Amino acid sequence: MTTPIFLLFGSFGILMALGVPIAFSIGIATTVTFFLFMGVDQSLFIVAQQMASGLDSFTLLAIPFFILAGNIMNRGGIAMRLINFAKVLGGRLPGALAHCNVIANMMFGSISGSAVASAAAVGGVMAPLQKKEGYDPAFSAAVNIASCPTGLLIPPSATLIVYSLITGGTSIAALFVAGYVPGILMGVGLMIVAGIIAKRRGYPVAPRPALSEVWAAARDAVLPLGLIVIVMGGIISGVFTATEASAAAVLYTLALALIWYREITLKDMPRILIESAVTTSVVLLMIGASIAMSRVMAFGGIPFAISDFLLGLSDNPLAILLAINIALLIVGTFMDMTPALLIFTPIFMPVVKGLGMDPVHFGIVMTLNLCIGICTPPVGSALFVGCSVGGTSIAKVIRPLLPFYALLFGLLMLVTYVPEISLFLPRLLLGYQ
Amino acid sequence: TTLKLNHNNPPDHPVHISMQIMADRVAELTNDEIKIQIFPNAQLGTQRESMELVQNCALEMARSNASELEAFEESYSALNLPYIFASEEHFNNVITGDIGQDILNASVDQGFRGVAFYTEGARSFYAQKPIMSPEDLKGVKVRVQPSPSAIRMVELLGGNPTPISWGELYSALQQGVVDAAENNPTALTTARHGEVVSDFSLDEHTMIPSVVVISNCAWDAMTAEQQEAMRTAALDSMAAHREAWNAASDAAIDEAKATLNVNIHTVDKAPFAEAVLPMHEEVAAKSEHLADLIDRIKATQ
Amino acid sequence: MRSFVDTLLKAVITVIFVVLVACVTWQVISRYILGTPSTVTDELARFLFMWLALIGGAYTMGLRRHLAIDLLTQKLAGRPRAVLEGFSLAAVAIFVGMVMVKGGGQLVWKTFASGQVTPALQIPMGYVYGAIPFAGAIILYYCAIFAFELWRDGPFRPDAGDTMPVGGPLD
Ligand code: NA
Ligand code: NA
Repeated sequence: MTTPIFLLFGSFGILMALGVPIAFSIGIATTVTFFLFMGVDQSLFIVAQQMASGLDSFTLLAIPFFILAGNIMNRGGIAMRLINFAKVLGGRLPGALAHCNVIANMMFGSISGSAVASAAAVGGVMAPLQKKEGYDPAFSAAVNIASCPTGLLIPPSATLIVYSLITGGTSIAALFVAGYVPGILMGVGLMIVAGIIAKRRGYPVAPRPALSEVWAAARDAVLPLGLIVIVMGGIISGVFTATEASAAAVLYTLALALIWYREITLKDMPRILIESAVTTSVVLLMIGASIAMSRVMAFGGIPFAISDFLLGLSDNPLAILLAINIALLIVGTFMDMTPALLIFTPIFMPVVKGLGMDPVHFGIVMTLNLCIGICTPPVGSALFVGCSVGGTSIAKVIRPLLPFYALLFGLLMLVTYVPEISLFLPRLLLGYQ
Repeated sequence: TTLKLNHNNPPDHPVHISMQIMADRVAELTNDEIKIQIFPNAQLGTQRESMELVQNCALEMARSNASELEAFEESYSALNLPYIFASEEHFNNVITGDIGQDILNASVDQGFRGVAFYTEGARSFYAQKPIMSPEDLKGVKVRVQPSPSAIRMVELLGGNPTPISWGELYSALQQGVVDAAENNPTALTTARHGEVVSDFSLDEHTMIPSVVVISNCAWDAMTAEQQEAMRTAALDSMAAHREAWNAASDAAIDEAKATLNVNIHTVDKAPFAEAVLPMHEEVAAKSEHLADLIDRIKATQ
Repeated sequence: MRSFVDTLLKAVITVIFVVLVACVTWQVISRYILGTPSTVTDELARFLFMWLALIGGAYTMGLRRHLAIDLLTQKLAGRPRAVLEGFSLAAVAIFVGMVMVKGGGQLVWKTFASGQVTPALQIPMGYVYGAIPFAGAIILYYCAIFAFELWRDGPFRPDAGDTMPVGGPLD
């Protein structure tokens, strides 16, 4: 039992640390571990099969489509329109621009489904504005970094699609709907903390906007936000599956960008398609390799061994969930979201099932946990991008991030131990059981 | 030796329980020389993937069904024909008799052989209305498995076949993406489809059994006595399974009636059987082997 | 040669992507507008998607854009860095050669030989799996180029202007 565990994770860890691309690190570690269970030819055969066949999922097709829709959106002035609308919504609070940043991240992240794109697009616009009004750049960057992952919880979300696949088909509609309350709570919580700090530091409130400005900002934001209505409305009402909704999102953003805003032309499309395919295949190759890895873990009984071990540590389910959360937080400090999700979901799934935890609920806990991970050093994509567009350094941004980490950890505990926060909406809207 | 057996049902499924009976019996008959370790919930791969693994000796055993096995061995398509069996009795005589054994042995050239058939009952249509004759299927969107025979059958009955994945079927029925589906009665309770349909019409068009297969490598590595023990264990578990399945199926019907308010209808099958008769000729035309198999099945009753 | 391979891959990726969008759109149209749901779009889309993923993965390899942890590489320079890069390239090449080209090739050959067909379209499964050795061969080709460049120019340094995207695609 221990040999496959050490061989698999040992070789994976070494290869990854030496800089071998993660997808291939997973693949090599998996192949080597398969040698314990079958002949060399059979091992090569099964890993090759799983790398392709692991992707045999109509649902997974939603990922390239959502990424493509997001890339089409990113090209135009969508971020600017959403920021203008966010200014109207958050302008009367102390530290108006900080609130604007959070709200814009929630809206932009919801549409693009990318924390990094959101941090870059929204933070890139907000940082100079905040500097001009006397905000400490480290504080501005901290707000941007902590709030950019909200869009991974607020649907649509490629992260939750991957979770659905790796858990053998947890309902995507339920996962999407379950993300709303935790995602919005995350945004609101961050705004409260930012507001308290801003008030203490005397950051300004924006002047009351004229009604015509409010109207103009709302009108500009309606079309981009219409995407959410089409996608989520289509999924919740059952008109579309998630994949069909993602194709509708592509057509909608295409129509918006090509015809309505005229921000791109058909000539730009091949480049956008290629860029989206590259982004997609980075994750897909990792998914294929991870599915192979989950097979070798099943051959070796690894998930059940780890599950037995964790369940044997304590009789208290609350303590076990805390242990899982802490393990994931540690993983999140040095691992990106995708590999962490792909590798640790199959490991922890039998444990949480043993505790009677709902898979949709665990999906939200896992995502929120890894959202914190991408904001923490030493490896954190949101942290890196947020510092770079905010014109500050990781060393400087850590201190202002601390109160936000505290809030996010509190929220994580709340979402972990109060399943209703996640499950209330899917039960109400979808009759999820 | 420990033989790994992969399948995609949960461990409380009747087929899993029956395979466990087979596993226990094999171990008993061979003094623990042959053990079968069952992996539920598709831990080692989907049905198609595990068939490919079995063919290449990367996995010893797998459970699939006659419908999926069509892609690997044509003989199984005879079993999937609608109304090829006149009754449950007929079906049982075929799968436990010489014809069943011939089909199980037919795939040796493809790298595997069948070990056991497990009934999964008869499949029928269910919808928000009774389906009493093919007329009731005119223009109705019926969810099918993405197999040509399922598609062809619904076409011949006048419906619109719609392939939708099993996981999405509940909400598809709920939202009217499809109007009807077809499965055995346990779908009403285990997949909760009884919550989203009102009528289950017992037209019993197909009886598609589960099939347990073993790779040639694993089979050839066994002694003749061990192979015989495997056959005995398979037949014993098939008999036990038949009773367990009927009990589960009856319980599902009772529960669907009592707690989910599903109306259960007995149906005159003759018009259905007549409408799909061309399929028997179409499949028979594919090869002499199939034509012969179909004739033999029909002559058995 | 290099630019020919790049261009070919880009063309294939673009075509598959466009067909995929059309396929799923057609699925919705056939269901709601025509009332006769398509019975093949689901399978066609799934198998094209596998091709997109693997060929996209090969093309991404050519761009050196696969996610890796470079904490160690960034700290090194000169010979140690070259050794590490050489190790990484060799690891990828061995894996791809053994698993994707050899294992994948065997998978293709076996599925053709046994006559296995896809459920809905009834096309040989070997065509679907063909993406694995094909993508594998292209990745090997890129590995060879990178190894040659490593020997000729020393360790790879991304251009300052050509900033790499940070983090995983789901972040
Ligand atoms: Na989102
Ligand atoms: Na981190």
